[in-house]
Amino acid sequence: METMVPATVVSLRGVSKSFPGVNALSDVDLDVHQGEVHGLVGKNGAGKSTLVRVLMGLHEPDSGSLEINGHRFSRITANEALAAGVAYVPQHVSMMDSLSVAENILAGEMPVGGLGLVDWEQVYAQAADRLGKLGLDLDVRKNVEGISVAEQTMLAIAQALFRRAKLIILDEPTASLPRIDIDRLFILIRSLKSQGVAIVFISHHLEEVFEICDRVTVLRDGRQIGTWPLSELDLARLTKVIVGENIHEYVRAVRERASDMAMQISGLTLGGFYEDVSIDIAKGEIVSVCGLQGSGAEALGERLFGLERRGIGAVRVGGKEYTARNPKEAFAQGVALLPQDRYRFGIVGLRPIRENITYSILDQLTGFLSLLKSVKERQLVKDFIEKLGIVTPSQNQSVRLLSGGNQQKVVFAKLACTRPRVLILHDPTQGIDVRAKLDIYRVIDDLSAQGIAILIISTEVRELVGVCDRILVMYEGRITKEFKRGDADTTPSNILLAIEGGHNAGQ
Amino acid sequence: MDRDRTSTFLFAIVDNLIWVIVIVAFLFFSLVSDRFFTLFNLLNILPRVAALGLLVIGQSFTMTTAHFDLSSESTLGLTAMVGALLVAVASYGGFGIMMPPGFAIALMILLGLAVGSLNGFMITKLRMNNLVATIAMLILLRGVVWILSPGKSVSFLGPVFDWIGGGVLFTIWAGGKPTGVPVSFFFVLVAFALAHLVTRYTRFGRHMYAIGSNREAAEAAGIRTQRVIFAVYVISGACSAIAGLLAAGRGDAVEGGLGQGWIFQVQAAAIIGGISLYGGRGNLLGALGGVLFWGILESGLSIMRVSPYAINVFRGVLLLVAMMLDAFKTQYLRTLATRRLSARSTIGMADLNNLK
Repeated sequence: METMVPATVVSLRGVSKSFPGVNALSDVDLDVHQGEVHGLVGKNGAGKSTLVRVLMGLHEPDSGSLEINGHRFSRITANEALAAGVAYVPQHVSMMDSLSVAENILAGEMPVGGLGLVDWEQVYAQAADRLGKLGLDLDVRKNVEGISVAEQTMLAIAQALFRRAKLIILDEPTASLPRIDIDRLFILIRSLKSQGVAIVFISHHLEEVFEICDRVTVLRDGRQIGTWPLSELDLARLTKVIVGENIHEYVRAVRERASDMAMQISGLTLGGFYEDVSIDIAKGEIVSVCGLQGSGAEALGERLFGLERRGIGAVRVGGKEYTARNPKEAFAQGVALLPQDRYRFGIVGLRPIRENITYSILDQLTGFLSLLKSVKERQLVKDFIEKLGIVTPSQNQSVRLLSGGNQQKVVFAKLACTRPRVLILHDPTQGIDVRAKLDIYRVIDDLSAQGIAILIISTEVRELVGVCDRILVMYEGRITKEFKRGDADTTPSNILLAIEGGHNAGQ
Repeated sequence: MDRDRTSTFLFAIVDNLIWVIVIVAFLFFSLVSDRFFTLFNLLNILPRVAALGLLVIGQSFTMTTAHFDLSSESTLGLTAMVGALLVAVASYGGFGIMMPPGFAIALMILLGLAVGSLNGFMITKLRMNNLVATIAMLILLRGVVWILSPGKSVSFLGPVFDWIGGGVLFTIWAGGKPTGVPVSFFFVLVAFALAHLVTRYTRFGRHMYAIGSNREAAEAAGIRTQRVIFAVYVISGACSAIAGLLAAGRGDAVEGGLGQGWIFQVQAAAIIGGISLYGGRGNLLGALGGVLFWGILESGLSIMRVSPYAINVFRGVLLLVAMMLDAFKTQYLRTLATRRLSARSTIGMADLNNLK
């Protein structure tokens, strides 16, 4: 085995790519062999998607070269990459949902009978036959929207193979799957492997990387930290490599924990999402709840903002029972949420900064005949622009024309206006550059100094360590571990390990 | 720097395109016809399209929230018909109850509010698609109008209707002869001023724009989006009723087909006036420009005795040109934004993607 060198399907040499202000990839080498499952891991923003887009011919690298099946490309178009056998299967597969599995497989080459009409029996038979050859057993008559997510992923893989894919890139294929479906998917992957297909497996779930991958490449901040056979690594070492050690992005001064509680959560349960969650957050305290996608951390944030009404348990804000059922009531009762998807839920892009900042407090800015008090509004917005350091030519600038960091500051200003007792932040530094991140953490620090309790939902452990008083780890719907600020074992890699492995990890 | 200044100047022009168009049209007709540029004619441009103007106000409210009210022309027809039936004598097609005009007008507006509420209810509570729901109402209400219609036009609606639709508010002496200033001229201006005030300077107006620009973010900011959308339909209904009053008064007669087919002109005037089809953009002053332009066109072309068929060709071509300019404007805005963005250093990928 060791002497036989398998053929290389894809090979990248010295690939770099930068965008204005960001080095998305610098000098990355990647080889994927025939019959290999190659893990690609790193935090959000580490450069995984840029690398994938280079492989797919969607980004032209600034330098470096690309070789697919022995053909060398200095630049490659999306069509060439497809023709050379590179296929991409996203986390949420997009197909013709309202058509049957068979129609999706045979689209464009439907067998026709006499009179040019579609021969449906043939359609179903041929589709089932093709799937059968891959060892897949799907109901070809069902509509795609009627089959499970795992089956959709498998169908997408099958379609890639029908197009003679040599390299299949699977992007977080297991993120939202139950274990039983993960097993089915892994059986398919192993069978492809034995047929010589090369696979790039992107995942945040490191245990699965150990389970299915042969080698793993780790990216951090656009740089390739290394490529190792998984037999040479263990979970602890891999998490260390992913996070990098002891680099805090922002370090906050230590403050005494206040005795007043801002938010008391007791026994909060929502079946299938989280169970028996109890957290007390003091005034001015910064607490983080970390968990992988599907761990329940995100669902908890939505519940606390009143976007989800189901479930049992009690929440008290400032000592009073908290009953918000929609954002307006949440604001009124002192809770504000910074949404994860800034573009969808955070900013009203066409409208100017001034309007965006005051949307949630217009009640307080209206006077006679419910006309807006524009002098007061301008002053308020001016204060926020100065305090948060929003870089903009004027208050009238459309928010969509601002940079990501400044957009995020606008959202912060909007929430801060409502004078919340508790501020829930969902991935507050997502998609913004390093300098703006420091600004954002400074803003968070300032808000907490004013006595606002802050709950951060994020997995950016390296950033959280320097900022949070406590970091709670959520795994499969339960809080499994608590890290206190300043404790010796509160290190990014320990936290990531707990996020990954739940109770058993790290022991 | 210079380039930046020219682009800002160009942008200002592109952004206020409607007024450029209005001025060009105005100059054009003034030059080609000596009967266009007279005080009398100028004062009668707006009254000619007064009812249309009110419909455009209603439509601007719904369009700003990224919704449509296609039923407004039928609401106009219905309210006008009901009002006429209530005030006209039996021999001229009315019910013969000869209701005092004040009551009749109040009933017309109540009817408009009711139709608007029904639209709003279907769209916000029953979650029906706004296009289809209002098209259904467009057809249904027109049917009701024809059922109510006595088969001939209902006419002689009395002095109050006449005064509002075609009366003279005061007379000015210019060049030694009297020229009447029409009531509906002021009516339209006041209506647009009020609508502008509401959309621009009230909380409700802010909410409308927020919803039209990004409904999910508006909701997350605590705006009760359903209520606002309900309200814009109610407002649109009321505007249609007032339009019905103006249309009835102007002709001093109402027949079953009054307002039929106007909805396309309403849309056209609003769009040419800069009200975005996708919501969140445009303002009522621009919409007034759109209405004014429509009026200039009507007046100019009819003075030149262009055939009505040719007028329609003109209208269609102009709408296409307006849409073309709008597409150009959107693209131009994007290029400008991208250029400004990449000039700065703290920009990530997400930012550029966001501009799509």
